[in-house]
Amino acid sequence: MPDHVPDLPLGDTKYIPPVRKADWLMRIGVAIVTLVIFLAIFGPHIGPYDPTRTTIRIAVPPPGLTEIPGLVAGWFGGTLDHPPHWMGTDANGYDIFSRVIAAPRTDLKIALLANILSLSVGVFFGLIAGYWRNWATELLIRVSDVLQSFPVFILAMVLVALAGRSATNIIIALAFVYTPIYLRLTRAEVMGQTARGFVEAARAMGNSELSIALRHVLPNSLTPALIQSSVTIGFAILLTAGLSFVGAGVRPPTPEWGLMISTGANQIVLGEWWPSVFPGLAISLTVFGFAVLGNALERRYEQG
Amino acid sequence: MNRDDPLLRVRNLKVGYEVPGDLIVPVEDVSFDLNPHEVVGLIGDAGSGKSTTALALTGLARQPGRIMGGSVTFGGRDLLTLPDDEIRAIRGRDIGIIVQNPRAALNPMLRVGRQIGFAYRAHNDATAADARAHAIDMLRLVGINDPERRVEAYAHELSGGMAQRALIAMALSSRPRLLIADEPTSGLDVTIQAQFLDEMWQTVQKTGSAMLLVTQELGVIANFCDRVLVLHEGRIVEDAPVRRFFSAPQHPYSRQVLRFYTDRASGYPEQVSGGGGFLRTDALTKHFPLRNSDKVVQAVDKVTISVARGEAVGLVGESGSGKTTVGRCLMRLEHPTSGAVILDGQDITALNAAEMRKMRSRMQIVFQDPFDSVNQRWTVADILDEPLRVHEGGDRAARRERAVAALRQVDLDPSLMIARPRDLGASTLQRINIARALICNPDFVVLDEPTSVLAPRARNSLIALLARLQKELGISYLFVSHDLTTVRYLCQRVAVMYLGQIVEEGSVEQVFTAPQHPYSRALLSAHLMPDPTRRRVDNPVPAALEGEIPSPIDVPKGCYLASRCPHVTDTCRVNPQILTDLGKGRAVRCERVVNGEIAPTPESDDA
Repeated sequence: MPDHVPDLPLGDTKYIPPVRKADWLMRIGVAIVTLVIFLAIFGPHIGPYDPTRTTIRIAVPPPGLTEIPGLVAGWFGGTLDHPPHWMGTDANGYDIFSRVIAAPRTDLKIALLANILSLSVGVFFGLIAGYWRNWATELLIRVSDVLQSFPVFILAMVLVALAGRSATNIIIALAFVYTPIYLRLTRAEVMGQTARGFVEAARAMGNSELSIALRHVLPNSLTPALIQSSVTIGFAILLTAGLSFVGAGVRPPTPEWGLMISTGANQIVLGEWWPSVFPGLAISLTVFGFAVLGNALERRYEQG
Repeated sequence: MNRDDPLLRVRNLKVGYEVPGDLIVPVEDVSFDLNPHEVVGLIGDAGSGKSTTALALTGLARQPGRIMGGSVTFGGRDLLTLPDDEIRAIRGRDIGIIVQNPRAALNPMLRVGRQIGFAYRAHNDATAADARAHAIDMLRLVGINDPERRVEAYAHELSGGMAQRALIAMALSSRPRLLIADEPTSGLDVTIQAQFLDEMWQTVQKTGSAMLLVTQELGVIANFCDRVLVLHEGRIVEDAPVRRFFSAPQHPYSRQVLRFYTDRASGYPEQVSGGGGFLRTDALTKHFPLRNSDKVVQAVDKVTISVARGEAVGLVGESGSGKTTVGRCLMRLEHPTSGAVILDGQDITALNAAEMRKMRSRMQIVFQDPFDSVNQRWTVADILDEPLRVHEGGDRAARRERAVAALRQVDLDPSLMIARPRDLGASTLQRINIARALICNPDFVVLDEPTSVLAPRARNSLIALLARLQKELGISYLFVSHDLTTVRYLCQRVAVMYLGQIVEEGSVEQVFTAPQHPYSRALLSAHLMPDPTRRRVDNPVPAALEGEIPSPIDVPKGCYLASRCPHVTDTCRVNPQILTDLGKGRAVRCERVVNGEIAPTPESDDA
């Protein structure tokens, strides 16, 4: 047998990084989400009016495009008797602009908490169901399937109708709706990771099953669920607004997009479109922002 | 063109990959000639630019690559300056290409015959019927049985070996003067690899083409090539006739690739005396039940094997032979269906979960895929700490010191402690896996094809490391491998598996110099020894086994090899064969061998 000869350096395989195209959709997503978070923190304080107080000016239309430069100049010059209503006022005299930028606090808080709740519960049960596969976890999956097969909106409506209209109940209702998604997602990932060599190696090393599940499988299975969060938050905002719209959401006069659309809906027939359209646009933009961010993150993850 | 001019002249070829903000040049400056009718091997590490070079010879580069300079003169013209349509005419007609993954290279939507026909008609004026007839001829030429039927097959209906042959048929359909084959046998089993290369070599001889054979395998080079080109760091560092390359390699890199081969010529590892059966199995059987069926996959069938203290036993066989499952049962990563695994007098199949976990500090395993067997999120320090944390606990700083010592033991620098797996190469990572397996001082380690994903040079140094560690630490190895060269170097004894059974066992010297069981003989004769003085192409090709390995679901009634064995009799077909002890640690599962009805191997393949 030869003596041990030290090697020449083995020189790793030359690494050619994948070409990553600049993802402008992701940038838009990041910009929108950042704005929504900013408004959730500061929105209620930076608007020209108190979002929960009415003014004496009722159903004022938003300024026309030609009036805007004059208004801006007047606002900065201090020549106006009251701050302009950039998006008009509604039938009760609320300033729509102030309410549109104040609403993210309500909507995002509900969506965020609902997401955290469903993420934690879903990932927990997903790990169990994916790692320990037996009749009990199989049953768990079936139950979650049944839950998932209900129409999302109706389910949330019924839950809120039964439990009462409060932010907490809306959060719980939303979490009910979204938990099965996380459970499925995590379970699938866990099942994939469990078949990997490092899990086998950890077992051969003498780790207990619980330790393998928590130390090895869980951290390697979280990414898809975290990516899904972005999409879920977007849709949770939509759902929160939807519940308010049908009267199963937060109570007036809390600034909330769905509620605003609902209040404004009666005036649309009178030709007063602005009380509904502006919050509607805000919702669309927000959901779009979260969704494209989620998609972009997912693509990145798949590219590795 | 002068008669003595080379067929292909490559000068200062340079290929680079442009990535944002950087330029990577895997092929810096490659120059060589290729003569008519010559078979030339191109060898180099993974990532050395072999495939990039091969592709660039036809003026192609994979995205985002670009040929940045040099010339490729073929038939008096520089291919790199030709307009697209002219080079396309040459590609396929005068230069045929065979790529690595045959199935991916065939169009799944088209029948094989039509694809070969397309290739032919692209360069020849022929009707569809002519092309079809030609396709049948080509398939026959590359050794496909029943070509009239196979031309109608789709890619998925062909086995890997057959798809590869269809690809050759396509590449040769216009009788090119040059054939470029890029690792044409990667992923094939040894017996199929040998058959396939035989056929390709013969076909090339028949058509009079020259061939550039890109490979990592010294065995392929030694047996089929006339000349060797060694590619290292983007340059050809050695260009030598095959015999001189093996007998007197010039460049340090070549010497390193060959070191193992030259070292090994000295002899076989010494036998380990005494302490028989430190680890042994007793009629170990593993059946995997099939879903929705009462049938089972018989992966391991009553395997009895023993490993002495400090001994390395090789377990060889082709894919599907059950050798990996034996290793996994030993580690109790699979629970055997029946039989026992006894380590130091204790049956580990009878241990409960907690006892088993404790036992695991005494037995370890190194897996085939070094990347997959570590947690990608952890640092090397975390990875090495894990077994210590599980089995010994105690002071963190002391454990860290042990981890550093373990890294040193496998010739790695302690600075790697903070590295993460994705930043490391396969061979470094496999060393870390070995360090992790040894860190708790086990008595016994299963090595499950630990070198199969490594390039030859890395493979050599890893095997040398394993041999050294065994000598220093007195550990026992079960070395599961299909690579007979490494088994011969590392192991004292070897067991040959076929369809879940051990068909022959003995010392490495006994089995390698005079295999007795017909299957061991076929396996060893198919093995491409890296020895250019006994080239396969210079000698009559030994009879290969016919047909394919039977399904482990419906195993044959009598001898498992009966359907493929050249020595088969009617009794073999009905009598189950038993592993018979021939003395001196030798055992064979073949009654005709035991009764002396089959002559011993006339001349050893490998003396």
